[in-house]
Amino acid sequence: MRALLIEDDRTIADFVIRGLKEAGFAVDHEADGEAGLASALRQPYDVAIVDLMLPKRDGLALIDDLRRRGITVPVLILSARRSVDDRVKGLQAGGDDYLTKPFAFAELQARIQALVRRATRTPEPTTLTVDDLVLDLLSRRVTRGGVTLDLRPREFRLLEHLMRNAGKVISKTMILSHVWEYSFDPQTNIVDVLVSRLREKIDRPFEKKLLHTVRGVGYVLRA
Amino acid sequence: MSSANIAKGSRHLRIGLWYATLFVLGSLAVVTLTYLLTASSLEQRDQQIIQSKVGEYAVVYERGGIEALEDTVRAEQQTAPERLFVRVVDRGTETIVLSRPRGWDPERLELASLRLSDGTLVQVGKSTESRDDLLARFRAVLGIVTLSIVLVALGGGLLVTRSATAPIRALSDAVKRIIQTGRTDARVPQTASRDALDELTGLFNSMLDKIEGLVTGMRGALDNVSHDLRTPLTHLRGAAETALAAGPDLDRYREALADCVEEADRVLVMLNTLMDISEAESGAMQLQREAVKLSDVVSRASDLYRDVADLKNIVVHVDAPDDVVVLADRTRLEQVAANLIDNAIKYTPSGGRVDVDVRRDGGRAWLRVRDTGVGIPADERPRIWDRLFRGDVSRTERGLGLGLSLVKAVVEAHGGSVQVKSEPGKGSMFVVSLPLE
Repeated sequence: MRALLIEDDRTIADFVIRGLKEAGFAVDHEADGEAGLASALRQPYDVAIVDLMLPKRDGLALIDDLRRRGITVPVLILSARRSVDDRVKGLQAGGDDYLTKPFAFAELQARIQALVRRATRTPEPTTLTVDDLVLDLLSRRVTRGGVTLDLRPREFRLLEHLMRNAGKVISKTMILSHVWEYSFDPQTNIVDVLVSRLREKIDRPFEKKLLHTVRGVGYVLRA
Repeated sequence: MSSANIAKGSRHLRIGLWYATLFVLGSLAVVTLTYLLTASSLEQRDQQIIQSKVGEYAVVYERGGIEALEDTVRAEQQTAPERLFVRVVDRGTETIVLSRPRGWDPERLELASLRLSDGTLVQVGKSTESRDDLLARFRAVLGIVTLSIVLVALGGGLLVTRSATAPIRALSDAVKRIIQTGRTDARVPQTASRDALDELTGLFNSMLDKIEGLVTGMRGALDNVSHDLRTPLTHLRGAAETALAAGPDLDRYREALADCVEEADRVLVMLNTLMDISEAESGAMQLQREAVKLSDVVSRASDLYRDVADLKNIVVHVDAPDDVVVLADRTRLEQVAANLIDNAIKYTPSGGRVDVDVRRDGGRAWLRVRDTGVGIPADERPRIWDRLFRGDVSRTERGLGLGLSLVKAVVEAHGGSVQVKSEPGKGSMFVVSLPLE
């Protein structure tokens, strides 16, 4: 997987590059709009991550140019502006997703993977498996070591999300938006409560623990 | 600025001159007409006098011949205040002058003639001297009148245009003051007249009110945000610094880093919430208004807290009919409902109950959140809406102290209001009222 990062802030670029490399991406980085456009035209990428405020050519113009020239690479926009208008403008210019700074790397990674998946159209799996935990998407049944677990709908959604992203840390914000479709932080431990309910069912009766808390970052399901 | 002044000055000078010119032209026409009418009526009168005289003398001449006429003329002209010139020319072209007033000027003579049946010509003349004198005096008077009309027209024109443009000048002066000083609290004085200019002044003032509100709101927001962020940033820095100072210890570092991430998240949430509150309070919040069923809002919000309530063994009961619809920003309203339910659950002890109900009454939509919690002491009640205020009880709970400020700001941005009733030890009730769709 090749990713192109166009970002002028050195610190943010460094931490995104490091994170993506760890996630198995080959990353090219450009620090201004002109160089970014040149790179994107030179060779095909699986995903481009574009900051909006760039020297020489701003992000919106760059994306617009790419689309005009028929480059269909999925684009994730990074921006410090959080208003609905800016988001809409970014998507209208041809961006595929929009992430506001500051962001959790886990969220960036999840969104990039979703874009790549959408673009390559990998066939949807019908079962998800982590260690001896199996989730059947068709029958909506969950078993661990052959034992059927009784999950409530919301717990099922959370587990499905964690299993699809197995091995990756999922932030509370992502869980909130995925399970409840809420975009604001309700300032209460509702995510903690749901996670601990789920943990009670999938981990508590078993020797090996799969659902881990990464303090300050989120949760991860790992074999 | 000086060129603007000149342009403005020359504009009302121009309007004034136009007005004066028109006024003077009108007056001149009237004066000229008056003069011509007077002159021609004087001439007519003179003609009438001498015509009737000539007729009279012709009768006398035909009856008594030249002698009788001579007697009559002599008798008449010696006693008349204004003597006339009388001449008779007979067929033999012999001219007999019967009366020649003293000092007469043959150039200035109004003359009437009558030829009789025997060919004799009788002529009567009247000096135009007195008429010309009268007209000359009249011309002098008219000249003075015209001059004063011109002066009055010029002065009046300037005065009128000055006073007509005074509100415009006041308006532009006020704008200039505001641009120069940056003080948006200056206002344009309004007159009592209810004309278009006064309306413009009023509109301009209300625009200034709005701008001032926005600017003050944004300034206040900036002050608050910079102040309020200091505390969490101090925590952030403190966590990192303490860990670094303690020497190499991986677990300790991990702990400190996790603290830093959590604190940074808190700063971010706080920043976003403070910006939301300020935007809502100053009227700058972009509301994506649509028809929203309050029942959807409360059922989604209470659903969010279902697990938390279960865990605390609190019953959340929702009673919301489907027909209460408001024109509002769905996400913002969900945030309002969520914050109120969050508070209710937070401050209600285990085994308690939270009632959420929606109804329509008196042309408004009502959303009520009642709990059987600890309540709010009377002295804290007015302050719960303040940013970052945390009551004695709430200090032990997780939170920023911004939830209720946001509720109030968002509800008021929607044209609604929010009230609280509370009885310490028994519970609290928050009532939101919104305009119906």
